Amino acid sequence: MKKQWQKVVQLVMVAGLCMVPCGAGAGEKPAAKEKKAKLQIEGSTTVGPIADAFAEVFGRKYKNVSITVKKTGSGDGAAALIDGRCDIATMSRFMKAKEFKKAVEKGIMPVAHAVAMDGVCVIVHPSNPVKALSSEQIRKIYKGEIENWRQLGGANKVIVVISRDTSSGTYETFHKLLMKKQKVAKGVEYVNSNPQAHARVKTTTGAIGYVGLGFVDKSVKALKLDGVMPTRKTIATGKYPISRPLFMFTNGYPKLGSTIHAFVTFHLTEKGQEVIEAKGFVPVTNY
Amino acid sequence: MRTRLRQFGDRTFTTVSGLSVLLLTGALVVILGPLFWRGAGAVVFRGTVEFRRMQYDMHGRGNKETLNAESDQAAHVRKDAYDLLESFAAGIDTTGLQKEARRIYRQFKTQLRNKVENIAITPEEASLLKSVGKKLRNHLLEAYETTKPDEAKQSLDFVLKHAGDENLAGSVAGQFFDMARQYLQIVITVDLTRREEYGETLNEVQEIIRELLGPRPGEPLPELSQFQYGATRWDRAQLLLDRLVWNEEWVEQGSGKSLKKVRTKRAEQFAGTELAGLFPMVEQNLEKMLCPQRTFYWQYFIDDSTPGHFFGGVGPEILGTLLLTLLSMVFAVPLGVTAAGYLVECAGDSRFVRVIRTCINTLAGVPSVVFGLFGLAFFVLYLQPKLGLPKGSSILAGAMTLAALVLPVLIRASEEAIRAVPRSYKEASLALGAGKFRTFVTVTLPAAAPGILTGIILSISRAAGETAPILFTAAVALGPIPETLTQPTRTLSYGSYDIAVGDRIAALVPHQQYGMVMTLIALVLVLNLAAIIIRRRLEAKLRGQ
Repeated sequence: MKKQWQKVVQLVMVAGLCMVPCGAGAGEKPAAKEKKAKLQIEGSTTVGPIADAFAEVFGRKYKNVSITVKKTGSGDGAAALIDGRCDIATMSRFMKAKEFKKAVEKGIMPVAHAVAMDGVCVIVHPSNPVKALSSEQIRKIYKGEIENWRQLGGANKVIVVISRDTSSGTYETFHKLLMKKQKVAKGVEYVNSNPQAHARVKTTTGAIGYVGLGFVDKSVKALKLDGVMPTRKTIATGKYPISRPLFMFTNGYPKLGSTIHAFVTFHLTEKGQEVIEAKGFVPVTNY
Repeated sequence: MRTRLRQFGDRTFTTVSGLSVLLLTGALVVILGPLFWRGAGAVVFRGTVEFRRMQYDMHGRGNKETLNAESDQAAHVRKDAYDLLESFAAGIDTTGLQKEARRIYRQFKTQLRNKVENIAITPEEASLLKSVGKKLRNHLLEAYETTKPDEAKQSLDFVLKHAGDENLAGSVAGQFFDMARQYLQIVITVDLTRREEYGETLNEVQEIIRELLGPRPGEPLPELSQFQYGATRWDRAQLLLDRLVWNEEWVEQGSGKSLKKVRTKRAEQFAGTELAGLFPMVEQNLEKMLCPQRTFYWQYFIDDSTPGHFFGGVGPEILGTLLLTLLSMVFAVPLGVTAAGYLVECAGDSRFVRVIRTCINTLAGVPSVVFGLFGLAFFVLYLQPKLGLPKGSSILAGAMTLAALVLPVLIRASEEAIRAVPRSYKEASLALGAGKFRTFVTVTLPAAAPGILTGIILSISRAAGETAPILFTAAVALGPIPETLTQPTRTLSYGSYDIAVGDRIAALVPHQQYGMVMTLIALVLVLNLAAIIIRRRLEAKLRGQ
C-alpha cells in the first residue's frame, strides 16, 4: 500500500519534471532537421476567410510551409505585428497613426498590401418595402433622429438599429465614410461579427444593419445607397460610397522569392483572384 | 399538533428537493439533449455519392470500383439535366464564354512572350499581334454582352474578318474564330432578348444546380475544396432542392405596408420554355443523382478539416484540447497540492496566511480574459523570448495560463480535502516514528486523494472549455497539427467560436458547429468519468476493500 503510493507520487513528479525540458527540447529538433517555413497570420475576422482560403490553396502548392491563421480582430492584428508575434497582420482597415508610431519605435516598418476590395452593405429585412436610402437618411437613423420606417416611406415599424462593435474594422469604415465620425445614438445595438449582424437583421423585421458584401444573400436585402446598388462592379470602381480595401500588413516589404512574398502577392495571380471572388470579395485585379 | 407540523415540514422539504432535482435534470436534458442530437448529425447522416467521392479523394477511403460505378450511374442521370440547362442557357448566359475568351487571350499573350524569347518573332511584331488579339477579344466580349442581334453580328463579323490573317494562323488566337462562328449560329437561332427576362433567375438556377451536383463534368476544378463537390449530405441536398423548385419573392402589398413572402413554382416561371421540364425532373431523380446512403462517419473525431471547417472533422481540435488540458493539469496539480499542503500543515494561522488565503479566493473570481492577457504579457512576450523560444502563441504558454487559471480552485479543494483527513491518522503515523514530511506524503495525501481528485475534475472541465485564456496564448483558427509543445494549436472551444464569428460558409454547415460543441462536452464528460472512476477506486481502497 505504502510503496504503491510512493510510486505514484514519484511517477507524477518525474513526469512533471520531464514534460518541460521535453517540450522545449523537442521544439528545436525538427526545426533544424526539416526547416519547415512558418507563416503566422493574425488579425481581422473579415479578412480571416481570405487568409484561410489562401492557406488552403497555398498549402497544396508549398508542402513544407506551415501556416497558422488567427482571427481576433484588426486591432489585435496590428498589435501582434508590432509585438513580432506574427508575420502577416490581416486588417480590414488601414493602420492608425498611433499604431504606425508604435511600430516604428520598435523598429518595425509596416507595409500594406491591399489584397481585395469589400463594400460595407446596408441591409434590412427582406419584408421591408424601403429599397434605397441616402447617406443623410442613414446618418439620421444611426443618430436616432429617424426612429420609424414610416418616416422613410416604409411600414409603421420602429427601426431596430444594429451596429458592429466599435473595435471592428467594419465599424470604423462605416463610421468614417458614412457617419462622418458623428456620434451614434445610445439605443443602437452592438453585435460582434458579420454573421451575427446578418442573423440579427434576418430575424428582425424592423432591423437595419451593415455587413460586408460576402454576407449579402437572399435572406436579407441590401439597400441602394445614394442611388448605387452594392455590386462587385460598383465597389471595384469606387462608385459605391462605402467601399474599402482589405489589407495584409508585413514588416517591411517581404524578401523577393520568400514564402511571405508569395503569400501577400497571391491575390495578383489568377488563382488568387478566383479564390477572392469565391469568398464573396472583390478582387483588385481583373483578368 | 407539533408532530404534525414537523411531518408537514419534512414532507414539504422532500417534495421541494425532489422537484429541484427533477428541474435540474430537466434543464440538463433541455440544454444538452438538442445539442447532442444535432451534434450527432455530424457523425450519423445520409451521405451522398459526393460525400463518398470526397472521402476517397481526401483520405483514400472506400472502394474505387463501387464508387466509380455509382458515379457513372449518377452522371448518367445528371446528364439530362445538364443538357437541358445548356441548351436553354445558350444566348442567355454567356459568362462562361466570356471567361473562355479572356482565358484564350491570356494564353495568346503567353505564347507570344515565349515566341519572343525564342527569337521566333521580334518584340515589335509581338506587340502588334497582341493588340490585334486584344481587339478580337474585346469585340467578342461585346458580342457576348449585348442583347441586340445586330450589334452582336457586327462585332462577330469584325472578329471573323481576321480569320484569314496569316500571322494569327496556328496560334491560340485561332480559337477566337471558332467561338465567333459558334456564337453567330446562336445569335441567328436564339432570341437574345430573353436574357433580360431570364438572365438573373437562370443564374440562380445554375448556381443551385452547381451547389447540388458539384462542378460540371469537364469544367476546370475550382481551387477551393468547398466548391469541388456537390451536396455531400442529403439534408443539405433537400434544402437546395426546395430552393430550386420554389422561388421565393417578396411582393409589395401597397405603400406603407410590409412586403409579403410569396412562393411560386419555378416551373411556372419558366413555363413555355424547355427549362420548365428541369424542375420536376430533378425533383424526381434527385435520389438517383446523389445516391444517398446512411453513413456513420466516425472518422469525424480523427479527421482534419478544410479551412473554414466546411468538410472534415475535429481531430486536431480534440488533440489540441486534450494536450492543453492535460498539460495544464501537469503544471497545476503538483503546484496546487504542494501549496495546499503548506497552507494546512505548515503555515499555521497567522494574519499573513489569512491574507494569502483571501488572495487565492479572489484569484478564483478573476475573469478568465484577465488570465489570458496576463499569459500573453508574461508567458508569450516575456518568458518565451527569455527561454530562447520564438514569440508567439504556443501550447506551453497556453497550458501555463490555464494552470494559473485553475490553480485557485485546485488549491481550495485540496486544502479542504487535506484538512478533512482525521487527526488520528496523522497522530498514529507520528507515533510510529514517521517524520512530518513522511506522514504528509504517505498518510495524509493518500487519504485526501479523493477530495483532491474532485478539485481536479472541476479544473479539467474549466480548463477544457475556456476560450479567453487561450485566445492570445495558444489557440489558432487554422494551423497544422502541432508537432511540438512550442507550436500553437487548434482547440474545440476556440474552434466553435471561430465558426460562429468567422466565415459566411458557416451558415451552410450548421452540423459542424453542433458537432464541435458536442465533441467538447463529450470530451469533458469522458475526462471526468476517468477521474471519477479513479476516485471510486481510491475510496474503495481507503475503506480497505
